[in-house]
Amino acid sequence: MLSVRPKRDAGGREDRAVFRGAALPWLFLLPSLLILAVFIYLPTLRTLRLAGYRANLILGTEQWVGLGNITDLLGSATYRQVALQTLVFTLLSVTGGLLLSLGLAWLASRPVRGSRAYRLLLIYPYALSPAIAGTLWLFLFNPEIGVVNQILGELAGVRPRWLDTPLLAFALVTVAAIWKGLAYNIVFYLASIRNLPTDVMEAAQIDGATPAQVFWRVAFPLLSPVTFFLVFTNIVAALFDSFALTDLLTRGGPYVGHAGITTFLVYQLYQDGFVNFRTGAAAAQGALMLALVAFVTFMQFRLGERRVHYGA
Amino acid sequence: MKKFLLTLALVGPAASAAQAQTTIEFWHSFGDAKRSGWIQARADAFNKANPGVKVVPSYKGSYNDSLQATILAARQGKAPALVQIFEVGSQLALDSGAFQPVSSVKNVDFSDYIKPVINYYTIGGKVNSLPFNSSSPVLYFNQELLKKAGLDPKTPPTTFGALMKACQKIEAAKLDARCFGMSLNGWFVEQWMAQQGQTLLNNGNGRQGRATSTTLDSRAAQNIFSFFKTMQDRGYYTYTGKLEDWDGSDAIFTNQKAAFHITSTADIGNIRDAAKKNGFTVGVGALPIPDGSKRNGVVIGGASLWISKGVSKAQAEGALDFALFMTNTQNMAEWHKLTGYYPVRQSSIDLLRKQGWFSQTPLQLVAFNQLTRTVPSPATAGGLNGAAIQTRRIIEEGLQKVLGGQGVDAALKDTKARADAALGEYNANFK
Repeated sequence: MLSVRPKRDAGGREDRAVFRGAALPWLFLLPSLLILAVFIYLPTLRTLRLAGYRANLILGTEQWVGLGNITDLLGSATYRQVALQTLVFTLLSVTGGLLLSLGLAWLASRPVRGSRAYRLLLIYPYALSPAIAGTLWLFLFNPEIGVVNQILGELAGVRPRWLDTPLLAFALVTVAAIWKGLAYNIVFYLASIRNLPTDVMEAAQIDGATPAQVFWRVAFPLLSPVTFFLVFTNIVAALFDSFALTDLLTRGGPYVGHAGITTFLVYQLYQDGFVNFRTGAAAAQGALMLALVAFVTFMQFRLGERRVHYGA
Repeated sequence: MKKFLLTLALVGPAASAAQAQTTIEFWHSFGDAKRSGWIQARADAFNKANPGVKVVPSYKGSYNDSLQATILAARQGKAPALVQIFEVGSQLALDSGAFQPVSSVKNVDFSDYIKPVINYYTIGGKVNSLPFNSSSPVLYFNQELLKKAGLDPKTPPTTFGALMKACQKIEAAKLDARCFGMSLNGWFVEQWMAQQGQTLLNNGNGRQGRATSTTLDSRAAQNIFSFFKTMQDRGYYTYTGKLEDWDGSDAIFTNQKAAFHITSTADIGNIRDAAKKNGFTVGVGALPIPDGSKRNGVVIGGASLWISKGVSKAQAEGALDFALFMTNTQNMAEWHKLTGYYPVRQSSIDLLRKQGWFSQTPLQLVAFNQLTRTVPSPATAGGLNGAAIQTRRIIEEGLQKVLGGQGVDAALKDTKARADAALGEYNANFK
């Protein structure tokens, strides 16, 4: 989010350090490049290679199938359903998560008594690991002995089966993901809200804008850089970090149609690659997800230049 | 840095020469202090008695993780000599070529091992791995709830039909508890197929040749799926909704929200303690089976000890010696008391009987009878297939469909198609 511009001093003289020769900058880059090469580039290349094989990690077998793995995936009803579910989940959890966290951050940043305590409580779930969060939700929503159903049973006489009613399970995972991501988003929004230029806001109030107008017409556009940043980090989180939550809460189930309804792309990849040891098929899924992330990043840069208002 | 390397170069060979000792890595999947501590104590005792050998046990994550780690280590020539592998991974471990049959390391007398246990791990006439932690499923019941419903805890139901009749009474008594809860797990389906004498896979349950199809279109499979359908339709059955949720289902039972429960014998100790804490007495009965079926017995579940191929002769022999020591008569009896897993030796059962263990803990006797009365056959030897982890999950998803309202025939047809495709996909690795 930082823009680097050459600084100019009062005299207008460019104050820039310039490397003499090409060797030194490469030397400084070398440590980062080495780490990237070992942990990112090399594994990526090997994954792309593996995507062309029918392979099994345990057996160590490899048979060349070319684009076979990819066409299998694209033609598979299971994979298409999983992709669609991932899309819906991502849309819901990102929009829901951002709206909710913006609202909460706005409220917590109002000058009210105890606002510090609110902020602390809102940020605290960030400290929970996904594994703990998943286990917590699992116990809360146990249909027979969970706290939620005990309360619902007493008050409303209903005991929903949260984890194997398809729509409920999907909603539960989505809400859990939103809840888990809330703190992260709130931290960013709180910081940005505090940095909003007060003069613009006050001017709007003096001109007779209602609080809603101040929020939507002034604050919201001023917050667009951070919203934009959060949209993309949240998309990536929904695509990749949903994994621990689903594994603990639903194991990707319940099974509807051709796949578990809370099975998302990354969980399917994990299942195929590291549970069923279908390494080639998993690598092909990895290749497809790489293309997806490349697309998301491309959109981030394209849209970022056009639509986002970075202020002065 | 240079100095460090130099020191290393000087000390390296000297150190290894001084250590004329065979180191044996043992990778297992018990992360809890109780069981990993027991294993460490056995290693310490063994190392003390055999100064030339050093057994180093370490926890390597879940069965799945540890299998993966072993294979990757083996590719780099650093395989651990001894590895604990779960029973569904047996065919995969065999096909990986990373292990050698224990019976070819040296001559071992296997006659003391309980028949159904050693049968599972005998493949193609060779004992591939040494049985270690073994268990089977039994019926658990809440004695107080049964009494309240007018049922006699001394004669628990032994068939599906009898269980349903008992459920009728439980339901009528309005106890604020469901009749029956168990975790949805393919392992139970495997057990019920064996109980009915039906192999799960073709080619002699995958033991005469690679399995190419499942028998999920059999009468036996229908009996099992129909049982779940009826229990669900009548509102007798409950589970958390998540597949393979052992803990969640145990919690439903120990919190008195289900009168009957089915799970592994390895949980007898934990469930008994939790029941005591929650103020009820637990009873244990034989696994209920479909009506009209002869009781053929159970398939052994759990894990066994495998010896890597890429290790020296001394290491392989040392690993086997330690595995035999850890599973000797005395140790297995102790292991059983500590964990609830079966002792895998006949002599250990005799020892426990002599010690009066079964009169102290009569719950265990049911479990033992179930195992020792098992009729040896390809069905009770257990199904072997390299995609077993996947096919087990597919079967669970099939059951879940039935619980969700799909008809038994449609669910079985779809489940069979998926499981058979998974077998085909696995077998294609060998073409």
